Amino acid sequence: MTAVASRTDEPGVPSLAARALAELAFEWVKLRSVRSNYVTLLIAAIATLGSTVLVARAVSAASAPPPPGPLTALSASFLGYAEYAVIPVSVLAVLQFTSEYATGLISTTFCAVPRRWAALASKAVVTGACALIAGELLAFACFWLTQALLSGRHRGVSLAQPGVPGAVAAGGFVLCACALTALGLGAIIRHTPGAITATLAAIYGVAALCLVLPSQWKDDLGRFTIAFAATQVVALPAVRSGVRAGARGVASRRTTGCRAGDRPPRRLRLRALPLDPMRYCAGPTCSVKYH
Amino acid sequence: MIELNGLTKRFGQVAAVDELSFTVRPGRVTGFLGPNGAGKTTTMRLILGLDVPTSGTALVGGHRYQQLIRPLRQVGSVLDATAVHGGRTAYDHLLSLAVSNGIRHGRVRQVLELTGLDSVATKRVRGFSLGMKQRLGIAAALLGEPPVLMFDEPVNGLDADGVRWIRQLLRRLAADGHTVLISSHLMSEMALTADHLVVIGRGKLLADAPTQSLTEAGARADVLVRSPQARELAELLTIRGAAVKVEQDGGLAVTGLDAPAIADLAAAHGVAVHELVPRQPSLEQAYLDLTAASTDYRASTGPRSTEATR
Repeated sequence: MTAVASRTDEPGVPSLAARALAELAFEWVKLRSVRSNYVTLLIAAIATLGSTVLVARAVSAASAPPPPGPLTALSASFLGYAEYAVIPVSVLAVLQFTSEYATGLISTTFCAVPRRWAALASKAVVTGACALIAGELLAFACFWLTQALLSGRHRGVSLAQPGVPGAVAAGGFVLCACALTALGLGAIIRHTPGAITATLAAIYGVAALCLVLPSQWKDDLGRFTIAFAATQVVALPAVRSGVRAGARGVASRRTTGCRAGDRPPRRLRLRALPLDPMRYCAGPTCSVKYH
Repeated sequence: MIELNGLTKRFGQVAAVDELSFTVRPGRVTGFLGPNGAGKTTTMRLILGLDVPTSGTALVGGHRYQQLIRPLRQVGSVLDATAVHGGRTAYDHLLSLAVSNGIRHGRVRQVLELTGLDSVATKRVRGFSLGMKQRLGIAAALLGEPPVLMFDEPVNGLDADGVRWIRQLLRRLAADGHTVLISSHLMSEMALTADHLVVIGRGKLLADAPTQSLTEAGARADVLVRSPQARELAELLTIRGAAVKVEQDGGLAVTGLDAPAIADLAAAHGVAVHELVPRQPSLEQAYLDLTAASTDYRASTGPRSTEATR
């Protein structure tokens, strides 16, 4: 930031890069100078880690071996994450635009940055980056927390196993994708309640719809959910097979010599993904299946 | 310098700003007057590129606002002083604007001191009074040391000291060669502050003239006369060709004769006079005359919504 300031003190027309940096700094100062943003992130972290511990304890306490199903050692890490991190961070992202429209500050923003696309882009970069960092921190924290509680019960998975780091990293991307979706809807709708409703509909509503649709349509529609998009970022075959069968599946995949370069089947089984869209509707009560 | 050329903004069928052309020159305070809904704020929003004109142009220093690089260093503006995030401190609000336009950070402290906000710099804006928010808005406008300044109703919410402070500030800035455009509905304030007036009504230009000439041209000077024999005196004055209007409190507003002539006439006829006050025309009256004329003209041209936007 100081670099930006000193460079701009020189006379003449500033470079495009200098202006872009200044606009990013503008959004960053605005984001970091509102205390409620920190509170929101803190609540998100506490709620996410808290629910993760509850889920992990439930899984760990289960006496019978887990039946084949969607709940695996890896996806258990993200049960809390899916709800308790996504909602607060999405609301925070929605507010980046809607709070400025509500207060009228948006006029000042556009006076300072008259190119609207530049204002949108700098907000997206700053908010997206914050959500990504928060997302990765939370995803890895959730993973380690869960595996620490599960490791004694021989149900944990390790980051050393193929596909696992990518799957955990995808958790961070989910938060970033949700934040950007929320930011965009906030910019379009401009009203806080409307934009939050639209964001939740986009993130959870589509997944909820998948529950009641015939399985053929379910997969077609499910491909457009944010959770599914996140899984596309990581090494698909490893994650998919690893997650579908759980820790044992990862081991068996290794023994069967499945190569990492294998192309995934076109239609993926959504139920088996680490951030299963259905999880969004079912809630942590899912862990009852273990008892 | 701000130049408006045939600036027009229509919202549906309603022309909020209608073929508006005028120039705001540096070195003087230009007052921008008009009744509510006349299109003052819309005009300012068009100048700042916040709305897109239907036709015509608004140029600041020869450029459209959207073309300006680091616009806060060219134009300082306050449209709505309450348009700040309540959760942010005054310092952070100004700092964010400073970094957005590459303004050195030290300038934030300077404008806080200049506007008398340095003691509340680290307080969140939520607790500010309207007057303090006005000062914060002015601080933000002065941040980039811009040659052009534009304030929408800057004295709203300021106490008597605040009003005097901003009047002196604006006059000092104009004297330093800044271009200063301020809108207001307070005519008395404009008479004291503005050197030049632009008056609009229903989005149309009504007057663009120095304050003094507008005052003189717009309304007639008259003489207030009080007498225990008011009726008698009124008849005498009318016979001598003066126009007499009886005011609510019984005083006579006389036009067409000056004070000495009225006094002589009263003395010649033995009429007692208790009060004889020559009155200068007020800007208020000039303004009301101008806008009333525009309203009459508009009303006769056909049904048109009086609701201008914003």
